Amino acid sequence: MRKFSLVEFSVDHPKLIVALSIILTFLFLTQFPKVRTDTNPKNMLPPTSDVRVWNDEVEKTFALYEDMIVLGIQNEKGILNSDTLGKIQRITDEILKIKGVAARDVNGFSTITNVTAEEGMLKVAPLMTDVPKSGKELAALRKALFENPLFIDRIISKDGKTSAIYVPLEKGGNGKEIADKIREIVKKEKGDEKYYVAGDPVARDTFGADMFKLMAVFAPIAGMVMLLVRYLMFRDLFLSMALMMDAMISIVWSMGLLIALGFPIHIMSSMAPVFLMAIATDSMHIYNEFYFRYREKKNKRAAIIATMNAVSRPVRNTALATAAGFGVLLFMNIIPVKVFGGLVAFGTIALRVLSFSFIPAMFTFVKEEKIEKISRSEDAGAGGSSFLKKLAGIGIHKPLTTVLVGVALFIAALIGISKTVVNNNMVEWFKKGSDVRVADTVMNNALGGTSLGYIVAISDTDDYIKTPEAMRYIEGLQRRLEKLSVVGKTTSVVDYVKRINRVLHNDDPKYDAVPENKEMIGQYLFLFAMSAKPSDLDNVADYPFRKANIWVQLKTWDAKAMESVIAAVHDYRKENPTPMEFKPAGIAYFNLVWNHEVLWDMVKGLTLALIVVFAILAYDFRSIKWAVIGYIPLLFTILLIYGVVGFVGKDFDMPISVMSCLSLGMAVDFAIHFVSRLRQRMKETPGESLTDALLWTAARPGKGIMRNAILFAAAFAVMLFAPLTPYITVGAFIVSMMLLSALMTILYLPALITLTQGWLFKGETR
Amino acid sequence: MRKVSAFSAMIVMFSVFSTGAFALTADEIMKKSQAVFLYPGDDFKARVMMKLISKGGQERVREMMMLRKNYGEPGGEQKYFMYFFQPADVRNMTFMVYKYPGKDADRWLFVPAINMVRRIAAQDKRSSFVGSDFTYEDISGRNLEDDAHAVVKEEKIGNRDCTVIKSTPKASEMEYSYKLSWIDKATFLPVKEEYYDKKGELYRVFSADEIKDVKGHPTITKRSMKNLLSGHMTEVTFLKTDYNVGIEDSLFTERFLKQPPKRWIE
Repeated sequence: MRKFSLVEFSVDHPKLIVALSIILTFLFLTQFPKVRTDTNPKNMLPPTSDVRVWNDEVEKTFALYEDMIVLGIQNEKGILNSDTLGKIQRITDEILKIKGVAARDVNGFSTITNVTAEEGMLKVAPLMTDVPKSGKELAALRKALFENPLFIDRIISKDGKTSAIYVPLEKGGNGKEIADKIREIVKKEKGDEKYYVAGDPVARDTFGADMFKLMAVFAPIAGMVMLLVRYLMFRDLFLSMALMMDAMISIVWSMGLLIALGFPIHIMSSMAPVFLMAIATDSMHIYNEFYFRYREKKNKRAAIIATMNAVSRPVRNTALATAAGFGVLLFMNIIPVKVFGGLVAFGTIALRVLSFSFIPAMFTFVKEEKIEKISRSEDAGAGGSSFLKKLAGIGIHKPLTTVLVGVALFIAALIGISKTVVNNNMVEWFKKGSDVRVADTVMNNALGGTSLGYIVAISDTDDYIKTPEAMRYIEGLQRRLEKLSVVGKTTSVVDYVKRINRVLHNDDPKYDAVPENKEMIGQYLFLFAMSAKPSDLDNVADYPFRKANIWVQLKTWDAKAMESVIAAVHDYRKENPTPMEFKPAGIAYFNLVWNHEVLWDMVKGLTLALIVVFAILAYDFRSIKWAVIGYIPLLFTILLIYGVVGFVGKDFDMPISVMSCLSLGMAVDFAIHFVSRLRQRMKETPGESLTDALLWTAARPGKGIMRNAILFAAAFAVMLFAPLTPYITVGAFIVSMMLLSALMTILYLPALITLTQGWLFKGETR
Repeated sequence: MRKVSAFSAMIVMFSVFSTGAFALTADEIMKKSQAVFLYPGDDFKARVMMKLISKGGQERVREMMMLRKNYGEPGGEQKYFMYFFQPADVRNMTFMVYKYPGKDADRWLFVPAINMVRRIAAQDKRSSFVGSDFTYEDISGRNLEDDAHAVVKEEKIGNRDCTVIKSTPKASEMEYSYKLSWIDKATFLPVKEEYYDKKGELYRVFSADEIKDVKGHPTITKRSMKNLLSGHMTEVTFLKTDYNVGIEDSLFTERFLKQPPKRWIE
């Protein structure tokens, strides 16, 4: 009984195999129209996660909106003139009509609540009901703005040149669509004013839209570059196309499956096609070997089968290692990380099945004369191969020096890694000149800050927040937080109480303070609630006045910023004991939490993958010793890259942490190919010296490794031109990682093997 | 031939006139509704329990004595006096409103903690009344001439036959684009009101949940207003409702605002 061989079956029935592959691909393609994207980082964590449950509770308690768009209006000559103010009013009116905008709580000049005293009369009304026309009216508005701390840095900058309209969104409102409508509205206005649309939903939803563009544009471009490079390498368009198709088919299968299963495409899974395209290049080894074999056998069918026999084991095992490297992500906590891991693992397996069926089938369609021509130029002694031999020669002849240089680099890398700064900044995912980034920078320079966090003060008795001690405590905490350079502005219920106290006492600045007793505070708050928008008070205090919500506007989206706020609250509470507890919340806090969770999940995943990959190497080589040797260049590559990240000062963020898995998955391929083929060679040619065997390996499978790396690097260089920085990061990372790990494999494996040959081959028959 | 046509024309004209004589116009219905809803009796007294309920189910309670006196015909001048029992820290706070037809109302508030009466500008009639979902205008009524009224249809709400009236504000700066009122044909009280925003979507609903007869005046003793966008709602219950209790004019002065007579706040 002969075992069923997929390769032989495919070579004998090539048309059937190709037809089947294409039909399957079409079936998966039918799922594509159902695609959904989910760019809301919130969904990185399940709705039941602590931070989401708590944030939902805070949003409910204080009637807060999850999302807010900020429209900045800037006029270098100052915005306090009838013309600009008229525009602000018109624009606000138009914004109120946009679907998805929570009109009742839009805050700008014409809608924000203003508490004033005029000739003994208390007035609670929108700041600007009519556009001021005379100089007197303008002066009155200027006074109203600048004497009210609730307005400064919120709707008016200190220099009077920038104003803002805060546009909260109803649940489910699409930030990008609403932002686009706002952009259309401001486009109708002519004049010197500049407009900036900022805020978390804009960044997020713009990112989502750009992500789609990237998937649709950059992945195919990367594919085309790969095709071109392959063509230059093999001079055969048909086979280059076959390789390309191999990648495309697996991408369609995996993405089709993902969509069919009802998963939305997330930031992470959007990178999967690119990853799969990278992994697909492993089939390069089949091509590489095929041409060598053909020269030896001169028979297409025999050459195909011989090739597959020679490379099947490393190809199968690299696939296994890669799939395992990503598969471990299935055991992580974060859903998109799991989905991403499963997706790439599935795609990798699909790729391998194709390598043993589709690719051999495609080989049969190529004319023999053509193969003959190409294979003649494939000579282990020619061109690239001799360079590789020289490279491996350094390792073989000066193993100690090579290893010592490696140790020095290793130490340097460790120093670099120790300098790593863990941080995430969603706005910095956009390029410097991009609309989102510019708007954010301008607004953060002019006003209190676009990133919003909350500090919730919690007491255990009703009405405690209304006591003067609670009020003074919160006021003190606000002043402390405002000392932090990242904090632009804080707002709390205390600010309203102080404002009313002053207004009730004929605008006497002496009364711009916390009142002396609880009755006053209670009555002032009631008075305020009598005429203000309900949300004004709801946003800062809960119903029984057990909790107060301090708004903290941050001038940066750095996760670090919120961390420093939390630390400052902690310190303040330590120095000043209070029965109140303080808990952070809000989008800035959420960003901090999810970024950390994703990041540490990836680090955990990498650790687990390292263990699994080691086990696979040991199993594949049937030797712990060889596994250790194969493992070193791999670890070294990862360490070096993260060392450079640390030295350069690039934040260790989510996209960077995702790359760790890919680098592992790819670097292990090279080691497996090298070691497997070396050992195979030594078995096949028993008389050859170790040095010669190493040189042969470096020249022949080494050429496949180098080609693989170059192909990869070329394709991913395209991503350096992407409009979003995470993709640029990914591109730069892959380019350097591929070249580095190929270099490591060809230089360090020979050096290490030469150096440890006594230990390695002990007990082995040579 | 000519006679016949003249006769049939007369029949047609008669039938037109007769239906016109029986059915009220939208303006007339709204006028009657205003009279029974906001102006019944010479004066009026009720202990008002107001429950403000947030989307998350949190509640805030406002409890007050409301006294009202009419000056002139329905649609004319009115004076309101309110004394707060709850929340506890505003006990003794009082609030007074002089309402004039076609002119901004005057409002005064007494803040007991600083023993001070302050006039409050009543510029924004659409602002919330004591943090509830009712606006000042919902409490004291909107000038009928500010809207264009039209009969839309007839519909039953529960077992009440209602005429549905669409009222569209004549001024465009209102935050709603129109209101539908279900006016009970028997009592002329509004049983339900729906407010539609500028985007044409329903966002605020008023409903009369209990109607009782008090001294011959059908009176809404339980009502609610729900904001569909914020999910916030307010329930109002009138207790100890009474009419023609003989409220004296002197009650509506700053002196009694500071020290309300016991008999009116018990």
